Amino acid sequence: MIRPVIGFAGMTHLGINSAAAAAARGFETVCFDTDAGIITKLKSGKLSIVEPGLPELLERSKQRFAFTTEVIDLKHCDVVYISADVPTDDQGQSDLSGIRALIDTITAGLGRDAILVILCQVPPGFTRTLALPKERLYYQVETLIFGRAVERAMHPERFIVGCAALERPLPPAYGAFLSTFGCPILPMRYESAELAKISINCCLVASVTVANTLAELCERIGADWSEIAPALKLDKRIGPHAYLGPGLGLAGGNLERDLATVCRLADAYGTDAGVVRAWMTNSSHRRDWALRTLHGEVLAANPKAVIGVLGLAYKENTHSTKNSPSLALIAQLKPWRLRVHDPVVPASAVAHPDATGCASALEAAQGADALVIMTPWPAFRDLKADQLARSMAGRAVIDPYHVLDGKAVVAAGLDYFTLGVPPLRAAGSTCASPQ
Amino acid sequence: MLNHLNEKPVNPTRVVLLGARGFIGRTLVSVLQRAGIAALPVSSADLNLATDGAADRLAAMLQHHDAVVMLAALTPDKGRGLQPFLTNIHMAASLCGALGKVTPAQVVYLSSDSVYPIATSLVSEASCAEPDDLYGMMHLAREMMVKSATKAPVAVLRSTLVYGAEDTHNSYGPNRLCRMAHKDGKITLFGEGEETRDHILVDDVAALTMLVLRHCSIGTLNLATGRSISYAELAKKVAVLLDKPIDIIGTSRQTPITHRHFDVTAIHKAFPTFNFTPLDKGLAKAHAEMLRRG
Repeated sequence: MIRPVIGFAGMTHLGINSAAAAAARGFETVCFDTDAGIITKLKSGKLSIVEPGLPELLERSKQRFAFTTEVIDLKHCDVVYISADVPTDDQGQSDLSGIRALIDTITAGLGRDAILVILCQVPPGFTRTLALPKERLYYQVETLIFGRAVERAMHPERFIVGCAALERPLPPAYGAFLSTFGCPILPMRYESAELAKISINCCLVASVTVANTLAELCERIGADWSEIAPALKLDKRIGPHAYLGPGLGLAGGNLERDLATVCRLADAYGTDAGVVRAWMTNSSHRRDWALRTLHGEVLAANPKAVIGVLGLAYKENTHSTKNSPSLALIAQLKPWRLRVHDPVVPASAVAHPDATGCASALEAAQGADALVIMTPWPAFRDLKADQLARSMAGRAVIDPYHVLDGKAVVAAGLDYFTLGVPPLRAAGSTCASPQ
Repeated sequence: MLNHLNEKPVNPTRVVLLGARGFIGRTLVSVLQRAGIAALPVSSADLNLATDGAADRLAAMLQHHDAVVMLAALTPDKGRGLQPFLTNIHMAASLCGALGKVTPAQVVYLSSDSVYPIATSLVSEASCAEPDDLYGMMHLAREMMVKSATKAPVAVLRSTLVYGAEDTHNSYGPNRLCRMAHKDGKITLFGEGEETRDHILVDDVAALTMLVLRHCSIGTLNLATGRSISYAELAKKVAVLLDKPIDIIGTSRQTPITHRHFDVTAIHKAFPTFNFTPLDKGLAKAHAEMLRRG
C-alpha cells in the first residue's frame, strides 16, 4: 500500500506537533490553516509556540511538509485531522462555532474517500452531529501536554478512536497511519471516545486534588508530602506515574473545560457531579496559596515590600499564560513594586502599575523582600541560595513547586515556604505576623 | 467577593447607622467622627424599627446621598428563638420599607458567620449558607430582604466573633474570659477549650466597614482574620494579661467539638493593604480599655 498522505487543518499547538510527528514517521503531511500569517511563518521555519524538540523535529522532516491556506491542497490527503483550538470562556464553556465552520470548509474540499478525524476537545455527542458519512468520520483523543508535546505525539501510549460502527475495521489508510506508532489502538463508539478524553483529565484532576488536599494538611500538622508521595506511587493501585505533585490549582484551560463539561452534562441529565465541583472549589482555594502566604508572612509586617516574581507562564516550557497562577497572583499585588522574570514570556504580559521586567532570575531577586517562584522553569533550579541571600533585601522565598532545595535556602539565612510541608525558617527567624 | 464602585476611596456624604448604640455601632460612629464624615447615629431610642410606622419614619430621615449601615438587631444573648427572630425580621422589614421609598447611595448590612452551618469548618464567601438556627436564619433572611428591597449597591459583611472592651454581650470569647479572670481569678472552659474560633477586634470591623463605605463596595465579605485559635490558647493569652495567677479549668464536655476557620483571601483581594490587629495586641488593648473604664 502506498503510504497515506496525512493532512492537518488548524496549525495550533496541537496541529503543529501532531503534523511534526506524522512527518517524522515518514508521511507526506499537508498543513492547512486559514491564517496566512501562520502559514507564512511556518514556511519560513518560524514557530510562535515553544516546545522542547519541536524545531529540530520540523527541520529533520521538512521535505515532507506542505504548508497551505488552500483547502484544495487537502484534496489528495487520505486522512485529514481537524486540529483547531476550541476556545473556552472563563466558565470553561466551549465555543464550537469556529470548529463547525472549519469542518464545513474542510469537508467541502475533501477527497471522495478521505477520512476526517476530529482531534479537538469537543463535548460528548459532537462528532455524531456532523453531516459527513459516518464510515469516513472518526474522533481521536488527543493527549497533548504543553512542554511535552513532541514526546506525546511521537510516542503515544495508545490511540483512542471513536467510530460509528465498531464491527467495521478502521479504513486502511487511517489504520496504516496509526499502526506506524506501534501502540495499542482502542476503537470505541464516538461518545465513549469523547468522554474518554474527559475521563482521563478527571482522573488526573482527582489525583492532583488528593495531593493538594493532603499537602495542605501536611503544612499544618508537620508532615511532609514529599515523603508520602513516593510511598503512594509504590502502591500498584496508584502507580509510579500518578499525578501526586501538589500545585496551585488547575491552569491552562483544558482541564477546567472538561470539568465544566462534566458539570453541565450532569446538570442536564440529572447525575451527581458534586465531587467535580469540589475539585473546582479546591483548585480555586489552592490557587491563592502564594497570595495568602505573602500576606501572612511578608506583607502584614512589611507593607512596602518589594516582591520578586519568577515565572509568568502557566507552566514550565511553554509560552502560554492561560489561567496562569503567576498572573493571577500579580493581579492581586497592585499596591506593591514587583520585579518579574520569565525565560519566555515577556514582562509586557503583566498588567501591573509598577512591575519591572528583569533579564534574569537573579536580577529579579535583587533588592526583593520576598521572592516568589510561580512557574517551575528548569532554569530556576540553577539559582544558588547564597546568591539569593546576598541579592535579596528580605528573606522570604515562596517556592510552591519546590524548585529550590529548601534546606540550602534556609542554610543561607532565608525562610522557605513550599507546598506540602510547614514553613522552614532560618535560625533566629520567627513567624512574620504573630497571632 | 466584593467589587468596588469607587476604585479610589471616596468619603460618603453622610452615613446613617441603624443600631448606632450597639457595640459595633459606637465604634463605627467614633471612627466616622474622627474621619470627619457626617454621621446620623440612630438607636432604638430614636427609632424603634420593630414598631409599626417605622418604615415611614426612617424614610423621612433618609436622603439619596446617604450610605445606610444596618447594625440593628437583637443579639444572640437576647435569645435565639422565634420571638427574637420575628422582631429582627420586623426591623429588617421596616428598613426595606424605607428603602422602597428612598434609594440611598449604598447599603451595608452587617451580618454574621452564623449563616454558615457549624459543620463547615473552613469558611469562605463561596461556602453554602445553611444556618443551623433561627439566629443565623434571621441574618440570611435579612441579607436577602435588603438585597431585594433596593436598587442601591449592597454590601453584606458576615462577621465572626467580635471582641473589644465595650462588648457587653458576654458571649463565650475574649471579653467573657477576661471578665471571668478578673472576677473569679480563674477561667472556666467548655471541655478543655479544644474548639477553635476566629476573633476579630471591633476596631478592625469598623476599619473594614469604612473601606467598604469609601469604595462603595458591592457583594459579600466575611469579616475574619483568617487565624483561628482554640479557647484553651485564648485563655492562656488572657491569663498573661493579668498581674496575678489565673487558673484555667476545663469541664466535662456537653457538646461535640467544632471548629471554625476562615479563608480570608477575599479580604486580601478586596483590600490588599489592610492588616488585622494581631490577637495579642488586640487583647492587650481591650484589656487596658476595660481596666480604664473600671
